[in-house]
Amino acid sequence: MTILTIDDLRCHYSTDGSVVKAVDGISFGLEEGEIVGLIGESGSGKTTIALSIMGLLPESARQSGEISYRGIDLSALPEDEMNTFRWTDIAIVFQNSLEVLNPVMRIGVQVCEPMIRRKGMGSGEAEARCAELFEMVGLDPIWMDAYPHQLSGGMRQRVLLAMALSCDPKVLILDEVTSALDAFTRKEIRDLLLDLQRTRGYSMITISHDIAFVSSMASRMMVLYAGRVVEVGPTRDVITAPRHPYTRGLVNSTPDIFVYKDMWGIPGDASGGNGDAGCLFRARCTQAIDDCRRSLPELTACGNGWKVACHRGGIAGLMTARGLTFSYTLPDRRSLVAVDGVDLEVQEGEVLAIVGQTGSGKSTLAHILAGVLHPERGEVHFMNGAVHGGKAGHRFGGIQIVFQDPFSSISNRFTVLDAVREPLDINGIGDRNERLDMVRDALDLVRLPSSDLFLAKYCGELSGGQRQRVALARAMVMRPKLLIADEITSALDVSTAANVLRLLKGLQNRRGFAMIYISHDLTLTLKIADRIAVMNAGKIVEVGNAHDVMLTPNDDYTRRLVGSRIGLCCHEHHTEVA
Amino acid sequence: MFADDETRSTFPGLLSDLQAALDRIRAGIAKFSIEGKIGLFGLCIFVVMALFAPMISGHPPDEITGDSLERPGAEHILGTDELGMDIWAQICYGARMSLLIGLVVASVAGFGGGAIGILAAYRGGLADQILMRVIDVTMALPSLPLLIVISAFMGPSIANVIFILILFGWARPARIARSQTLSVKTHAYIVAARNYGAGSWYLLRRHIFPEVLPILFVLVIGITSHAIVAEAGLAFLGLGDPTSKSWGMMLNYATSFRSIYFTPYWQWWLIPPLVALIALLLCLAFIGRDLERVLDPKLRARRGAE
Repeated sequence: MTILTIDDLRCHYSTDGSVVKAVDGISFGLEEGEIVGLIGESGSGKTTIALSIMGLLPESARQSGEISYRGIDLSALPEDEMNTFRWTDIAIVFQNSLEVLNPVMRIGVQVCEPMIRRKGMGSGEAEARCAELFEMVGLDPIWMDAYPHQLSGGMRQRVLLAMALSCDPKVLILDEVTSALDAFTRKEIRDLLLDLQRTRGYSMITISHDIAFVSSMASRMMVLYAGRVVEVGPTRDVITAPRHPYTRGLVNSTPDIFVYKDMWGIPGDASGGNGDAGCLFRARCTQAIDDCRRSLPELTACGNGWKVACHRGGIAGLMTARGLTFSYTLPDRRSLVAVDGVDLEVQEGEVLAIVGQTGSGKSTLAHILAGVLHPERGEVHFMNGAVHGGKAGHRFGGIQIVFQDPFSSISNRFTVLDAVREPLDINGIGDRNERLDMVRDALDLVRLPSSDLFLAKYCGELSGGQRQRVALARAMVMRPKLLIADEITSALDVSTAANVLRLLKGLQNRRGFAMIYISHDLTLTLKIADRIAVMNAGKIVEVGNAHDVMLTPNDDYTRRLVGSRIGLCCHEHHTEVA
Repeated sequence: MFADDETRSTFPGLLSDLQAALDRIRAGIAKFSIEGKIGLFGLCIFVVMALFAPMISGHPPDEITGDSLERPGAEHILGTDELGMDIWAQICYGARMSLLIGLVVASVAGFGGGAIGILAAYRGGLADQILMRVIDVTMALPSLPLLIVISAFMGPSIANVIFILILFGWARPARIARSQTLSVKTHAYIVAARNYGAGSWYLLRRHIFPEVLPILFVLVIGITSHAIVAEAGLAFLGLGDPTSKSWGMMLNYATSFRSIYFTPYWQWWLIPPLVALIALLLCLAFIGRDLERVLDPKLRARRGAE
């Protein structure tokens, strides 16, 4: 049974002349005993939703839409009638801060207050109940006589929780309850809440930017962006295979989900809107198309209670490879199958790593995907066009490949300018000055000097790291939608490799292109990859989220690969798992 | 609009390529050793001699302008031969002949052979295989005896000499250009350029020619001196064009003069063409050696790493 229904909720703050649409048309229902998670960056409207459910919005806010609790429209109720629902039926646990508690009142008194006022308890009864609640949230009742500033953050959060639970509400709204807490306390509070939900059947709305916390509690998750729901669905599905680029960005910024990966936030800031009718996430999106400028996407169902608001139906596929096969002829006329029936998909804006030992066919696969080699069988589609016979590398927004050896991929005889400008020259893009500007921009991107002096340097005079960055600039000058990086750090020393890799990932994050990163180094790829495909003897033996592949490898070969890392002298040496 | 840009940018592109090539040549000459510079200077003198032969010779080379076998003197700087023709004039016109043969043979065999080698390597496949077999056969043939036999068979004329020298000269540059092209072709920058949509002409012009040409230059110098020696040799054997004025023919006439060594005539009749020939060959050898040193890819790589 649906206990709380929110229908087309809109909350607009008007501040001298301008209107901020904090919440802009949100609808959802909360089932009895269900935990729904609301996630989003700061400013996405999460707290405004909580406050409007509680009827606690400030004066400056204009609210429309319907909030009904068990069939009663709360938003239409006058203030005093709303008071009867507050605390007794719907309670909120605020984010811990000193402001929420009255600094000059003892804690016990503050916790007892709603019980005395709402439930008409006597003060003795209330105090006994308060002590009980304190025990329940894991707080010693002696703290009842303390003042708020005497308590630690975690304790204050427990006090707020006790306060919310005091009138035994049916719906509990948790607003960033764990954000300021350390890991132990966070876990304790989480366990406590789950326990309460199990034993007492609370319905909860968990609001947080902490995806790990929300996902560990909620069965359903809503992702908010600029006051609108961009994705809603079963928690596990949303976390493991997000459909909206924004959700993916959030998931990728969460250290608990990608244990090994470097964290990279979503570039740009959440904005209240672009001043036009288009999708609000457009400016930060990796896959914006013209439609995104024209209208706001509506939430569209994509099965299993999963909805996503995106003109492209969620994260779109960028490249699909089917049944790729390629073999080399050895000198003794035997043939060596380097790539053996590989199927692969690459989505917009993701980093896919292809990992495997030397000779597993990764590079050959990379060359086929880039359109450099023609497969014997199978085909590669890139943005609805065939790669082979097409011109994926000849235009802006196509596929670019960066090769393994920087000394071979750029001619010694070329100056930096010639080398980076080459693709523009070949394709006749822009005039002389435009090309020069594009070259300078590309060099800036890869953090190389763009001075005339550097432009006139011969590539033969550059170091390996610099040359690899020149090669990267040459690829970037074509503004690829998909960048294939074939072992680009293997010829570099560790420090240079780290710099180049971070630069590459930073570029990818900022420019939002998809990337296929080929490497034999599992540890390195874990730093940047969203998904990992493990390749062995020409076949892809396992594909999955980077952390899944690393932590719970399914295939024997993957297990061996994971187990074959050499630890440092001071580490325990790993033996083969298989 | 792209096509327009391309046509507009090709011409300045070529010019700037040319400019860059000239700059490289100037820089290369600056790296020449003393011998190399002497060689270059000597070659320039021979070129001037050849170009301005009618002006500096004083006498026509093929007319009797004095007594038979005059000693060197004021009228005839290097004396006259048995027919009374001026030796100095013959040397000057002989330089013309030698350089002409050297230049034509070297450029046709060197650059033509080089072009064949580059194209075969670039195209690959059957054409390349056939070419390789032809080169093997050509290089396996003993060139000097065949040279003699064929020129004897075809009759003595300058055109025939040039033709025969080209016939045997093109294989080496073709093979070297081919192997060089093959090694350039393996570089990833070629793959990258092709991936950007570069056509064959672009790849050849921007990547392959500049890598192969320096090596061809060294070869061309070698072929030039070989051609000059071969022509002189054929002429000496009497297989040259008897009406032409070449150093080889002069040597031929001088040595076939009965008992020349018992007379003083050899001093002004035999020595000058010999000295001219040796000097020209030395100059070319010096230049070739220095070019090789300057253009050696290994040396260049080391310089690039500095």
